[in-house]
Order: sequence, then structure tokens, then C-alpha cells
Amino acid sequence: MPKLVIDAHRLIGPVPFDDLPSDPRAEMDRLGIDRACVTHTLSLYSDAEAGNEALLRLDDPRLIPVPVVVPGVPGASAPADLHQVLAWNVRMIRLCPERHRFDLTGPIALRWLAALALPVAIDLEETSPAQLHTLFTRLPEQRVLLLNPGYRRLRAVAELMAETRRVWLEMGTVNTQGGVEWLAHRFGADRLVFGTGAPIADDCGPRFLLDHLALEPSAVDLIAAGSLSGLL
Amino acid sequence: MILDAHGHVGDWPDFLIPDPSAEGLVATMDRIGVTAMGISHLLAVGPDAERGNRLAIEIAERFPGRFGVWQVYNPHHRTPLSSVRALDGIWGVKLHPDVHQCRLDDPLYEPVWDLGLPVLAHAQTDSPWSDPAQFAAVAARRPEVPLLMGHTGLWPYGFARAARLAADHPNVYLETCGSKMTGRWIARLVAMIGADRVVFGSDACFLDLRTGLGRIALAPLTAPDRTLVQGANLARLLALPP
Repeated sequence: MPKLVIDAHRLIGPVPFDDLPSDPRAEMDRLGIDRACVTHTLSLYSDAEAGNEALLRLDDPRLIPVPVVVPGVPGASAPADLHQVLAWNVRMIRLCPERHRFDLTGPIALRWLAALALPVAIDLEETSPAQLHTLFTRLPEQRVLLLNPGYRRLRAVAELMAETRRVWLEMGTVNTQGGVEWLAHRFGADRLVFGTGAPIADDCGPRFLLDHLALEPSAVDLIAAGSLSGLL
Repeated sequence: MILDAHGHVGDWPDFLIPDPSAEGLVATMDRIGVTAMGISHLLAVGPDAERGNRLAIEIAERFPGRFGVWQVYNPHHRTPLSSVRALDGIWGVKLHPDVHQCRLDDPLYEPVWDLGLPVLAHAQTDSPWSDPAQFAAVAARRPEVPLLMGHTGLWPYGFARAARLAADHPNVYLETCGSKMTGRWIARLVAMIGADRVVFGSDACFLDLRTGLGRIALAPLTAPDRTLVQGANLARLLALPP
């Protein structure tokens, strides 16, 4: 059993398409998850700024805020300028280039990322390995936590991890037999991060998997919390 | 006793399966306490059901008591099927209407229903081949055949509808594997249709056995309901020894 468990990918707030718990803390308690990186659902399904305001009002050390940033020209961005992002004093931001229809490797996004120098969480469904290769070519020091990588694109994700050490992988959806161990043996457990995407995605299966990985306890501790701590 | 209703051995062309072996499955089963798994070989789901079925039976013979075989029936090839269940470790028949592009309610499957063995079939909400409504239609026509609805229709937006469609057909069981399933949804399905109608499956080696079992083990279920879902229901419908 890992000593400390941090879920790198949880949502807080309501979703429009299901009746799910809007507060993650009860399920975290039930499943033995000590802390969680959280993004507000308003930032994904409504207004990014309203979601970020609600998120940043949370005052619970168990919940690590990951606000959503929308780079853009004045009047099209959220927040209004990147200095506000710096004022948040957060440890990671989330980008949704597909949902918010901006170009991850466009000039504005690249300028904002270079100025912020923060780790960025991106869902693989919001980008592509090719786009991320381009991002790392332009910003070789950028750190990316790749959310929801799934299992069907394991070959492409592995190629990305082989090309840069600046990608960390959320393991909750790496759901093919032995997939997490395969990645850990090739790229190191320090590149893998426990995360679930709950409550939309499942947290029970990944939490159980974490307890039953065929890896050394030190490697499991890295995946459970240590790798994320290093990233942040 | 933990019984996994939905397993596979072998490779699949769409993506990398790091450990597709029976040995790997047995090691994981031992690690987490799974007694036995029903398998079909992915070669059988794909282009060669007859050879894949032979490979699955060989695996079951190599690991006595650990694997039952869902022999795949390809309706286009009229795959020969064994009707003797207990003798060679066969649990029943596996159908994959989407891969074989043959609707579950197609007359080409009549030899399968005539056999009378339990059937595990892939289900996919809104698929022209395997929508849950086709399970209800077949179950009404062949109420004597135990029919496991694989993945409960696969997509979360269809889970509740799948449970409603199955509710009036006591020979239909909802099987839990799939990359979009959650522990929360399994608890909902149990509340909707009853714990005696929900059956644990993992889809390993296609998916990770531990993730699949974890959704049952950590779902918000009562202990008696969890016992039914994780193995007692399947043992009952397969008439396996306790």
C-alpha cells in the first residue's frame, strides 16, 4: 500500500450530463486518497473564469487547485492577461485547446507558456502527440502532465515519452493488461502519476490497481504521489 | 469466489497489449484472488474462430480450473461448436456482432441459440449490430438461453437504458467490463435491476484485470451484493461447483 496517495486529476462541481457528486472529498475519504488536484467543472462546461474563481475560493489543503487558462488576444482570453495567472500562485494550470478552440502551438499560447513557466495538464483528447512534439520543439523546458492517455494510443504515447523527459503520464486510463508496468519499466515510475478523472471517469479501478501493481514499493510510492510532487 | 465472466488471450490489431499471455493472466489472478476467468482467444474473435477456439481450450487444459472457454461462433463461417460444457471446460458461446458485422438478432445465430449454452455477446449502445434492444428481442424469443450483455452496452449514456431493456428478461445479465464503466455505475445498475442480474467481467487481457475487479471491489455495494456480482451469480448460471 502506498504511503501517500494524490489524485492528479479530479473535478469539483456539477456536470451537465449526469448526476455525479459535485464535491470529491467524500469519495476521496472512502477510497483512501489523501489529496487531489482539482479543476472546477464550470471551467470546462461553462465559463472558465467563473470556474477558476470558484476553484480559487476553496480553502482546503487537501485540494490543489488547477485552474483553466485560455490563451488569446485581449478580449478572447481567460483570464484577461497572463499576469493574473501569476497572481493566482498555483502550481499547475490546465489547458483545453480543443474545447476552447485555441492553437496550443500558436504564438500566443507559446508566449503565455514561456512566461508562466508552470506545469500544464492537458487531456490527450484535447491535443495530439504530434502537436505535443511541436510544443516541446518550441518550448523544450515545458512540463506537461498528459491526462486521460487511455490505452489505445499506447504506441504513440510511448514514442512521445521516449522523445522528451518533460512529459508525465496520468495512469488512471492506462487500462490494458500490464500497461502501467510496461511504461514504468521503459520510462521509469517517476514519469507516471496516479490520477483518475473522477467523478466522470472511474476512480475505483485505478485506486485498486495502484494497490496491486507488480512493482517495487518505492516505484508504487512514486506513482501514488512522489512523481506528481516532483512535477509540481 | 471471484469469477471473471469476460476475458481474452492473445493480440489485437488496434493497439498494443503489453501482456497478452495466459501466464500473465494467471499471475494477476493469483495476485488479486480471482478463481477463474472465462476466455475467448482474440484470434477467434478475429478471423479464425475455429483455430482460436482450439487455442483457448488448450489454455484451459494447461491451467486446470483457472479458465473456462467461451467458444466463439462466427456466423459467416458456421464455426463448429462443442455442446458438452463441463467435459472440456467450456462455459458457453461468445458472439461479437460488431466484429463479425452480423446483428445479434440475425437468423444466422440460430444454431447458437439451439445449443442452449450460456452466451456472452458484445453489446454496444446505438450499434447497428449489438444495441441492447436486440438483446431484449433475442431474450424474449429464447428465454431458456442465459444471455450476458457484454459491457452493458459500453457507453455510459446507454447504461440505464440497457438495464431497463434487460429488466423484464430474467435470462439477461449485465456484464460490467469496459473502459467507460465506473464503480459508481455498477452500484447504480445493481440498484436498478438487482444484484442477482449483474456479473463481473474485466475484458482482460484487452483491459487490465485489476482495474476491472477494482470497480467491483471498491464500488459502493453491500457485502452480499458484492458477493453476488463478483462471482456467485456466474457460478449459479454456469452451475459451477461451489
